[in-house]
Amino acid sequence: MSLIIAIPSKGRLKEKTLEIFASAGLTVELPEDERSYQTKIEGREDIEIAFLSASEIARELAAGSVHLGVTGEDLARESIAKADDIIDFEIKLGFGHADVVVAVPDSWVDVDTMVDLDDVAADYRLRYGRRLRVATKYWQLTQNWFGQHGIGVYRIVESLGATEGAPAAGSADAIIDITSTGSTIRANNLKILEDGIILKSEANLIRSKTAEWTPEAQALCVEMLSKIRTSLNV
Amino acid sequence: MCWGMWSMLEILRTHLQSIAPDEVEVPILQPADPFLETAGEDLRRRIFITETTSGQVNCLRPEFTIPIGMAHLKNAKPSRYAYGGMVFRQERRGASEFEQVGLEDLGNDNTVEADAACLNDMLGALILADIPDPKVTLGDQNLFGVVVESLGLPTAISQRLVRNFGDPELVNQLIDQLVHKEATAPNDVNLDALANAENRDDLIAHIENRMSNAKLSSKAGRSAEDIADRMIAKAAEGHFQLAPERADILRKFLAIEAALDEASKVLINFASESNISFGSALDVFQTRANMLKGRGLTYKASFGRKLDYYTGVLFEAEVNGISVAGGGRYDRLCTLLGADKPVPAVGFSISLDRVEEAKQ
Repeated sequence: MSLIIAIPSKGRLKEKTLEIFASAGLTVELPEDERSYQTKIEGREDIEIAFLSASEIARELAAGSVHLGVTGEDLARESIAKADDIIDFEIKLGFGHADVVVAVPDSWVDVDTMVDLDDVAADYRLRYGRRLRVATKYWQLTQNWFGQHGIGVYRIVESLGATEGAPAAGSADAIIDITSTGSTIRANNLKILEDGIILKSEANLIRSKTAEWTPEAQALCVEMLSKIRTSLNV
Repeated sequence: MCWGMWSMLEILRTHLQSIAPDEVEVPILQPADPFLETAGEDLRRRIFITETTSGQVNCLRPEFTIPIGMAHLKNAKPSRYAYGGMVFRQERRGASEFEQVGLEDLGNDNTVEADAACLNDMLGALILADIPDPKVTLGDQNLFGVVVESLGLPTAISQRLVRNFGDPELVNQLIDQLVHKEATAPNDVNLDALANAENRDDLIAHIENRMSNAKLSSKAGRSAEDIADRMIAKAAEGHFQLAPERADILRKFLAIEAALDEASKVLINFASESNISFGSALDVFQTRANMLKGRGLTYKASFGRKLDYYTGVLFEAEVNGISVAGGGRYDRLCTLLGADKPVPAVGFSISLDRVEEAKQ
């Protein structure tokens, strides 16, 4: 095997990826043993497929233990510091759409933009005896985004589920979370800031820059990418 | 005693202890919270965090100022503390662990004298470190504050500018936005009308209604009153536009760079041309400059540091473009750490790895 490709191991991400690969003439053989996470492309001895969880794929791409991988841009940018130095986002695959957004309680009628949030954060400690708290599982994206907007004085409260509920639960003031339609955010009486879309994410075919790129692996990668691009017409 | 046997760290620490004799102990393992609370969440990725099995979050000492500020809270009298040792930081040009020495002067009400003494002590220590002639840049947050204030901007906008002093790109962006103001998307027509009419009571009722729908506690965090007040202030601000010639005053000020010995003259000229008054901030600046006369410092109006707790003079020493030392006044730190009234504070630190690098 000279090219290793990581594919999400379950759910819609897996189904959609297999569909796209198949229509590009790259049918993934399902492993004979259901518990196995390794397989290959039909009729191709030179391409190995590894089924991994979406967040593992981001980590393995960074570590260079796989050449290519399919995962969400949000996960890749969250788990890899300075992602653009480590990986290339080769092909947007057109599924798994979700936005990473900044949302505040809709009772904060005076807060529409990041500049407003900066104003509020600046004297939060003075007024309420603590820093503004932001609930999120996206540490990296939050720190980058707030940094870009010159906001330094706030605290991140880690939230691994039901982040939208954090303000009502009193554990945070604002949230940074993923949303596809915004309905969960609205249902929790929150609103997305006008300029609060951090990332419009979707599933991407990503190339690792740190993997070992033999001439053979490079040639296979070019072939793969061109087949998928042609099939997706991008 | 034979200096030759001593490391640079020992030489400098001993020297600083002789002029700043109050004792303070700063362990390498520190609780992370005071650093994150004062310097902000942005610091998190620049320090080494480690968690105990019981979940207590510690970090490797990233600097000495905050722990010394904490230790000083228990001390009522003015003190001068010297320190020296290893500090640990990520995402830094150069090594992640390096030696730092420095001095903190806390509780001295004669702030001008303390500022000048601190700068002189830094220059003295640098001579000892074989850096006899560094390029020292000095900035003053107060002067910027006075210029901003003299423009008669709405409070929130003034605060936003002052808060971002030290980040020239952001400050310029803010100034541009004030001149070329884009209309913001209307909120809720109803609420905007209430805010424009300064109808505080109805606005509060509206906000309270939304808070109760969201099951937000009115005790935790922002109250309906605070939100309504800011909404009204923002509505007033929304009509504000900065005249281009006033923006130019700000830009012209930020472009000032002069030898410190000449800087007062330059500032006085600027003030009279721009028809503004620096008031007592200039007296302070001038007195301090006189105390530092002949030391070859440069005043740069835009020089600052974007940290919540800095309040006055700021300075940095570099050699061959490498920043070897820096410091400034941070009267807000002790209040942030829990002191019930502001404690005047000024200090500097020298990074010994940079000193070595600069000498090569």
